[in-house]
Amino acid sequence: MDNKPTLSQYFGGSEIPPASQFFDEIGTSPSEMIQSIYLGESEAGISAPRAFTSPPDPQEIFTNVIPTVSSATAVPATSLPDPSTFFDTIGPEPQIGSSKSNLISAAVITEAMDGLSVKNQPVDKEGDRRRDAWIPNEEAKKTLLKAQSSPKGSFFPEREVLTMPGLVLEEELADALQEIAVKYLGVSSAGSRGVVRAEHVSRDEAGLRELLRTGYLRAAVNLTATLLSAAGQGAGRMHRPTKHSQRSLQLWLTRFAVMCRIKLYEPLLKEAEPFGDFTKPDMFYEFYPEAYENRTGSLVPFSLRLLVAELPGHVGKPEEAMDRLYAMLDVIEQMISNLKSGKTEVGTDNISAEDQKESLRLWNGRRIRVLHSITNCAIALKDYRLATKILTTLKNEATNVQQQRALHSALCRVALLAGHGRAAVAHCSNAKDARNHICPTPDVREYVDLGLIDIAHGKYQDAYNNFARAADQEPTNIMVANNLAVCLLYMGRLKEAISVLQKAIHSDPERGLNESLLINLCTLYELESSKTNEKKLNLLRMLCKHKSDTIPNVLECLKLA
Amino acid sequence: MENKESVEHLVALKVMRLTKPALISPKIVTCDFKDLPGNILNNFLKDDATSVVQMETLAAGQFLLLPQSFGNIYLGETFSCYVCVHNETNQPVQSVSIKADLQTSSQRIPLTTQQNQSPIMLDVDETLSDVIHHEVKDLGTHILVCEVTYMSNYSTLASFRKFFKFEVLKPLDVKTKFYNAESDDVFVEAQVQNITSGPIILETVALESSHQFTVKSLNEDDNGVSVFGDVTLLQPQESCQYSYCLTPKENILKDIKLLAAAKNIGKLDIVWRSNLGEKGRLQTSQLQRMIPDYGDIRVTYENVPSRVPIDEPFKFNCKIVNASERTLDLILKLRSLQNSSLLWCGISNRKLGPLEPGNTTIVNLTVLPINSGLHTVTGVSLVDLFLKRTYDYDDLASVYVC
Repeated sequence: MDNKPTLSQYFGGSEIPPASQFFDEIGTSPSEMIQSIYLGESEAGISAPRAFTSPPDPQEIFTNVIPTVSSATAVPATSLPDPSTFFDTIGPEPQIGSSKSNLISAAVITEAMDGLSVKNQPVDKEGDRRRDAWIPNEEAKKTLLKAQSSPKGSFFPEREVLTMPGLVLEEELADALQEIAVKYLGVSSAGSRGVVRAEHVSRDEAGLRELLRTGYLRAAVNLTATLLSAAGQGAGRMHRPTKHSQRSLQLWLTRFAVMCRIKLYEPLLKEAEPFGDFTKPDMFYEFYPEAYENRTGSLVPFSLRLLVAELPGHVGKPEEAMDRLYAMLDVIEQMISNLKSGKTEVGTDNISAEDQKESLRLWNGRRIRVLHSITNCAIALKDYRLATKILTTLKNEATNVQQQRALHSALCRVALLAGHGRAAVAHCSNAKDARNHICPTPDVREYVDLGLIDIAHGKYQDAYNNFARAADQEPTNIMVANNLAVCLLYMGRLKEAISVLQKAIHSDPERGLNESLLINLCTLYELESSKTNEKKLNLLRMLCKHKSDTIPNVLECLKLA
Repeated sequence: MENKESVEHLVALKVMRLTKPALISPKIVTCDFKDLPGNILNNFLKDDATSVVQMETLAAGQFLLLPQSFGNIYLGETFSCYVCVHNETNQPVQSVSIKADLQTSSQRIPLTTQQNQSPIMLDVDETLSDVIHHEVKDLGTHILVCEVTYMSNYSTLASFRKFFKFEVLKPLDVKTKFYNAESDDVFVEAQVQNITSGPIILETVALESSHQFTVKSLNEDDNGVSVFGDVTLLQPQESCQYSYCLTPKENILKDIKLLAAAKNIGKLDIVWRSNLGEKGRLQTSQLQRMIPDYGDIRVTYENVPSRVPIDEPFKFNCKIVNASERTLDLILKLRSLQNSSLLWCGISNRKLGPLEPGNTTIVNLTVLPINSGLHTVTGVSLVDLFLKRTYDYDDLASVYVC
């Protein structure tokens, strides 16, 4: 178990890691369909016993680039606040056709846990091409042609064509919850909280995943900084030429994704700035003919491209995000059109029917993901016309009744946001028709939508009844409990509202200690009485007990001054 | 202990405005599961109580968030608030009651609480609370005055007040235009502009006519479908134009005096909704049209064909109404002008006999079109024998001759 730091002995630290390096036990799932489109139900959970890893030998820290499958990395259960983080879901949708094995045998998993199967991963060239495909713009194309046609060692690119990122956020981030706990509860109370820092895990991708999985998000950001510095893109490296690899971009992706989650937008914007919209030629494999022979497409993970495009939307510039997302959509639609005419994504070579099918599935999925992001921007801009238009298109394109139903239901809520009761009722009734194809009786989603419509009409008692029906079906549903509480307040029943929320938190602290629910509860506390401090501190104690470092704005949520 | 209020008083008063709650969604950050973070971030999203199963990446959630700020309030909306009195001591407090008034620039409105009219006892940690609703009908500064009365430790009644000030803003700008048609119908254009800070849905825009007119809305097609399509959503500053046709009622049509006095068109009734169905309703004051000046004599043509064959005489009616205060003695003159394409048939200089004030006479006229094209009916004059005045009517109708 604890041989992890020495794994590098077997694999060494090659500068360009193998293509399969980012496969972990999750990645062995048969389909690369991005789960992010419709995050399907998880089909299996794997739990693995864990024990603390000893800190890796410093000399080996930066060479150990082989992920050693973090579920094997171990942390004593007592120090982990979050039991559910022991479970990694295996990717969804094994039903989607793929020539690769559809079932993950226990043996594969065990191998993966040992980190040994990485070596044995077949290189899926088609899959790589499919995933990495991106059409460079005209300018980049010229440079790439030059890079490809220049004799070995004679290609010296101009500075202008280079992407030169570097860290901006230099200081080590402290565990935010821990800091607040020390301030408000004192060292002794806060001390009971198990804190995992970057030093407690291996300083590599596996350690990074470990920190993510256990919810120590700030520690994860710190570790990405360490790893990126080692890759020559650390502090002060901005605007200096650097070498990009799949690995460095995955590190940036991880860093940006986590910074986005914990709302560190300001440094995030600065760090993302040198990447622009990832159109520079050095973001393509063709730029490095020696290192990546015959490999095509972009080094930039799709998720990173999307995240950076969405970024302005998080800082109050959804119009800008919208422009970037539409630019992405344009390229994707071009690729889909190439695929449809029997060519590869970039439109150069012919493609086999099977690969065409797979590629279309992948890129249609990504297209939908981008459209969702555009819709989200439209909702942020309160442009409900556009949001409705896109959702209607998606609904008409939807191939299965679940999706249609989900989209009708989403349309219903967009109509409600706009205040359009009549349209909301119509969409809700369409959703109901679709639901009838799935199950004969109303489910939680339908009852909740009906309740929301009642709220729009100011009928809080009716809304309450609908939410109560939903609660009958799923008594532990946090969202339903929350909506019941909100209803109760509007009905003049503050005390009951508070008790519903408190019960919800105690019944499922992991999910119940949700930012928005905490805001609601503390709003009610403040309305009830001027002596709220102790109640808020109780919530803080619960947070310390049950949550790691995932809530970015604890003080705001608890309304602690 | 913690703040001044609780030191001075046994109970604390809290007030929260209840605008509609918001629908909240989680922070959506996803990865492909071949990426370094694998499914970890996706699972965070999936496990978030605010995300919607199978639609996690769409920010159209079902999770209600309570209002976190006072927000704007507009004329015609309903001001709702939660008023809560809490016993801050560790012993019961007797005879607690709340009274709420709304002070505007012109009046003080007592707000009716729904319950708890009579003073009650508040046990330890108990609250006395109420939800108050009031439709705001004035612009400008409003002050909500809440007064709490209770029995102090010295068995005397103690009370304190809290004030909450807010501005009521104008939500809509309504511009109207009138057009008086020859037929005595009145066409109304009403431009409704959204001057709030967010998008609104115009749920109803209706013209409620005064008792002198009947109204026909021109904003739907024959099947009753709105000409604006499905959604009448107005972004801030956008406006939408509605049209109506008003026909004077029969008894008014008959009497030119009444017609001339029919100034009041009616009122526009507008219902809009915004965020999660927040409702507002406004009615304009009585809309007034400009009365057309009929002079002493009002002449209109009726039943003029729009299209006539060449060289075939056609007929129409000339309606003459005495709009003056005296009896008129009139002569009708018909002149076919030199280059006119329409020639009059029949008698000119006809005496029409005395016409009482408000009365109408209808003369049947015949015209022979001799050239094709679009031609104006010209050459009709009336001579008032008493005043020796001649009135020419040269531009009342056109016909297309083919």
